[in-house]
Amino acid sequence: MKQSPQLKQVQENMRPGVLTLHGFLGTDKRDLVEILEEDEAEVRRLGTSHRAIADKMVALRDRGKAGLGEFIDVEPNFEVKVDSVRGGIPSPFGGPGLIPKTNSTVRNTRLGREIVYTDINIHLIGEHGFYEGKGSLFRLEPHELVEILEINPEEQQTELPQ
Amino acid sequence: MISALMISVGAVSGISAFLAILMVIADATIANYGEVKITINGDKEYDVKGGKPLLGTLMEQEIFIPSACGGRGSCGLCKVTVKEGAGQYLPTELPWISEEEQAENVRLSCQIKVKNDMSLEIPEELFNVKEFQAKIAKVRDLTHDIKEVTMELSDPPEISMVPGQFVQLRIPEYELTDEPVYRAYSVASNPSDTKHVELEIRLVPNGIATTYVHNYMKEGDDIIFNGPYGDFYLRETEREIIFIAGGSGMAPIKSILLSMAEKGINRRARYFFGARSKKDLFLVEEMQRLEKELPNFEFIPALSDPEEEDKWEGETGLITDVVARHMESGDNTEAYLCGSPGMIDACIKVLSDKGVPDELTYYDKFG
Repeated sequence: MKQSPQLKQVQENMRPGVLTLHGFLGTDKRDLVEILEEDEAEVRRLGTSHRAIADKMVALRDRGKAGLGEFIDVEPNFEVKVDSVRGGIPSPFGGPGLIPKTNSTVRNTRLGREIVYTDINIHLIGEHGFYEGKGSLFRLEPHELVEILEINPEEQQTELPQ
Repeated sequence: MISALMISVGAVSGISAFLAILMVIADATIANYGEVKITINGDKEYDVKGGKPLLGTLMEQEIFIPSACGGRGSCGLCKVTVKEGAGQYLPTELPWISEEEQAENVRLSCQIKVKNDMSLEIPEELFNVKEFQAKIAKVRDLTHDIKEVTMELSDPPEISMVPGQFVQLRIPEYELTDEPVYRAYSVASNPSDTKHVELEIRLVPNGIATTYVHNYMKEGDDIIFNGPYGDFYLRETEREIIFIAGGSGMAPIKSILLSMAEKGINRRARYFFGARSKKDLFLVEEMQRLEKELPNFEFIPALSDPEEEDKWEGETGLITDVVARHMESGDNTEAYLCGSPGMIDACIKVLSDKGVPDELTYYDKFG
């Protein structure tokens, strides 16, 4: 698919120094539309959706907040730490205001694997299907999110056990 | 038909992009704003070269406005009141400026350019802020993810500050950044040692500054910082004090306690410090030493999830629960909190439920 002028502008916003020091694209030289399409295909292959992935990220983050900045056990087999640094970042797609610089670290104790994501990752994935460009410091691989956060392909509900 | 449409869209996009590039080049090369005058607080005048962002222009005059993002408009800290000469609000400012602030002409100094004479108002205490050259005298691990960094001042050789304030560390170019970035950290040392500044810095995943401190900084390195900033300091009252912190939020509380011990301020004070397990606890012996020096001071560390090998016999649970268990009434009490926004918000609620008035709860939010 050809890149629209709107996506071209968004891609400009993602360049280093426009909204953040490093931008959102890393070393990826592809058009934004190609990045989005490739990740869309990967998410479909994994049998899930951007929304389901983002919802699970939100659910774990919200449960992790109860740890008040330290790791806390989240059933069934996660440890989650949520902390923040000063400031906020606007979305390169425009709206919804400034997104806080909140980091969620999720450890899957069953797999012995860990993933770190930010609130802007959640926004970009849930609203725009954007996982950042290859080589970006904050790039998240869809298959890693699905594996570590245990996003079940056949069920889209993301409610965690209480 | 479709190809004609695509050619038209392409042509319009191309012309727009060309004009935008032309404007950027013109602004950088042709536009010459010459010398302009900045008047601050009605009585201080500076002749400066126009064309740069206000934040950087003031920095060249050795006037440092707090900024945690290095001028990228992503922290919202560098607000100043511009009475004249700033022009219309920019889209990059508006997310940070409330309607009330707009009515008072509060602007984000990193976003607006100095193009003509300007009249500003900034807090007088910012004139005490200076840039310091220093050497890294010591780096030591406090926990697996918190380092203590001691800087020895070179030029100027001494700093004047109050306990609880913060400085902005300049992180030089390195693998993760091709330009310097500034980040704000609370001072942990006693300000009476005017030749040294000590920081406690927790590793943030993928953080440019904290990765540098944890993986690249070494003793003997030159470093630049500016400061001091902030209004998180001990109020001179006779009220009981509640301190609450977690992680690197220890820093300003430790600075305040060291100063209290030195000055013999023996108000009743309790310090609730939250950690997950023993490996996240630090400076316990120093706090116990302070308990001996300050007879009315009590250090109450609490672990939310102690490990079996910790053999922990102290308080357990979230820090909010521990505070709620220990506090009977918030009468005649003031509170000082330092930590993540989530921790602070949760603690404010507990303190409020206990009767500590919101206006007597002071905090330094990381967020």
